[in-house]
Amino acid sequence: MHDAVSAPGGIDLAVDVRNLTRVEGEGSLHLRVRDGAVESARLEIFEAPRYFERLVVGRSMDEVIDIVARICGICPVAYQMTAVHAAEAAFGITVDPATVALRRLLYCGEWIESHALHVYLLHLPDLLGYPSAIDLAQHARATVEGGLRLKRAGNAIVARIGGRAIHPVSVRVGGFSRVIRRDEIASLRADLVEARDLADATVELVAGLQPPAFRRDARLVALRSPDEYPMNTGRIVSNDGLDVAATDWESIFEERQVPWSNALQAHGRDGRPYLLGPSSRVTLDADRLHPRAAAALARLDLADRIANEPNWSIAARAVELVHAVAEAIDLVDAYEQPARGAVDWSPRAATAAWATEAPRGLLFQRFRLDDDGRVQEARIVPPTSQNQAAIEADLALFAPTVLDRPHAEITHLLEQLIRSYDPCISCATHFLDLQVEDSS
Amino acid sequence: MTAVLDIAPAVRRPDITDAPEVTLPVPATLIEILACGAPDRGDDSAATIAVGRLADTLPDDVRARIVGQLDIDDLLAIPPGAGAIVVDTAVGVDPGWIVEIPFSGLAGRESGIRPRSSHALSIPETVAVASIIRGRPLQGMVVAVGGVDFGLGESLSWPVAAAMDAFVMAIADAVQRVRALVAGTPPRG
Repeated sequence: MHDAVSAPGGIDLAVDVRNLTRVEGEGSLHLRVRDGAVESARLEIFEAPRYFERLVVGRSMDEVIDIVARICGICPVAYQMTAVHAAEAAFGITVDPATVALRRLLYCGEWIESHALHVYLLHLPDLLGYPSAIDLAQHARATVEGGLRLKRAGNAIVARIGGRAIHPVSVRVGGFSRVIRRDEIASLRADLVEARDLADATVELVAGLQPPAFRRDARLVALRSPDEYPMNTGRIVSNDGLDVAATDWESIFEERQVPWSNALQAHGRDGRPYLLGPSSRVTLDADRLHPRAAAALARLDLADRIANEPNWSIAARAVELVHAVAEAIDLVDAYEQPARGAVDWSPRAATAAWATEAPRGLLFQRFRLDDDGRVQEARIVPPTSQNQAAIEADLALFAPTVLDRPHAEITHLLEQLIRSYDPCISCATHFLDLQVEDSS
Repeated sequence: MTAVLDIAPAVRRPDITDAPEVTLPVPATLIEILACGAPDRGDDSAATIAVGRLADTLPDDVRARIVGQLDIDDLLAIPPGAGAIVVDTAVGVDPGWIVEIPFSGLAGRESGIRPRSSHALSIPETVAVASIIRGRPLQGMVVAVGGVDFGLGESLSWPVAAAMDAFVMAIADAVQRVRALVAGTPPRG
């Protein structure tokens, strides 16, 4: 629930979108306006709870890596990267530099495929005035084809390193399940070079868009690493001075159950919502962008709008596409094949916690492990459940500015605003309070 | 408990339907069956189970793949001249009922029947965009069973479990129909 926001004129309005389209998973929007004031703005997530936090109990961390990948078909790498880094930190494992590079390359692949999908097929139809991706493809087939080739370059990275494009299987504690050869990595280069041009073209395309105006102050949160754009490492920072270790997520944020959603909602412990994702990263880590992406951001001259206008998130994704492709090429060129796939390690009792940057924002995981390294208790906090409160707050702020429009247009603009956050509802549906009674 | 929907195209797409006819070589794989869904989400596993039961009986020119979430690239990878069968669980139809929808009837339809596997882009949109990119309509069908229980676990709800034999037969029947579609001849029998 949010504080009522008044609009001129005593308008009563109900907006109900039962099935949001062009978002991952199943959710609905309910907005109530009485006498010009927003009474409630709810992003209702009714997709069934998935209980992954219970599913991993009793499992080793190598099993956890494969299980958590099943949480999402679009960002499985994010779940794997967070879990594997948590395990290695807990077990005191130092991996081969080639493993560090391969994991970053794998993450670049996921960012490319996820961002290309969202930019070209989920968000762009809204911003070019087409009702669907079908209409966009009909009228701008070459544009969509280019977006799909860009996405394919990301898929190819994940498939080559991860063993398959969806739910990859090669990530292991200490490294990878096999030695990934130099020639395998080198074979990715040609497609990435083409993708580099396509990413640059994406920036040019985005520069010509005119998203609906909506400006607000948001608390932006992302990881920040001392020497790289954040993917696998970094501290949690914000645009209002937060700076804590990623493992301390629970000291700063908390999750709450709300009656209208199967996703827990995260807030700061001070009750404030916060926003994760590309706009937050580009704002808080602009000085860590690859030079090619930094130049793209400068060309766009949209840094202020990316920070303050959610409908401009497409520009942040375009900049990150340039970054991910350019860094992927650098990683491919510099790759040195390791002598073995993974280093040896031994489990021990520990708390394993970590955060990485999924395409949609910061993903936190914590596992309490027993002497054999098996999970006793788990917590998984996906970015969309963290963004949910910020999305609702923005809906409540945005709605009064469009109440003078026809109902259908209001509905479309609200849906469009939700899509701009690229919510992944399938990721978000998790419960912490599952009770399991053992009758044995 | 089988309902067959055969819906005419609601929106005509002149730029692809008017594409000049060309004679395509017969591909080695004539039909691809793409099974959607997650094996650990109750009724969402119905497609992979059904396709798994059929796998050993499929002719050499029919290939079955588990794709989880249908991607446009899955459809772009289908050879020219071949067809596709997308198998999934659906909501908006009674549990256990089976729907068979030709690709030509997907675009613009508003029946309320939706595939249940999570797809950022819906199956009708995915098929339509793939057809536009391919430059000609992709021949094929969606075969789906109505689901009701999508919670964690591998067990099926009783209506879906009871419909599995019919679901398997519907997929086998779709193979014959799509074979006829890609060959440009009416199905036998």
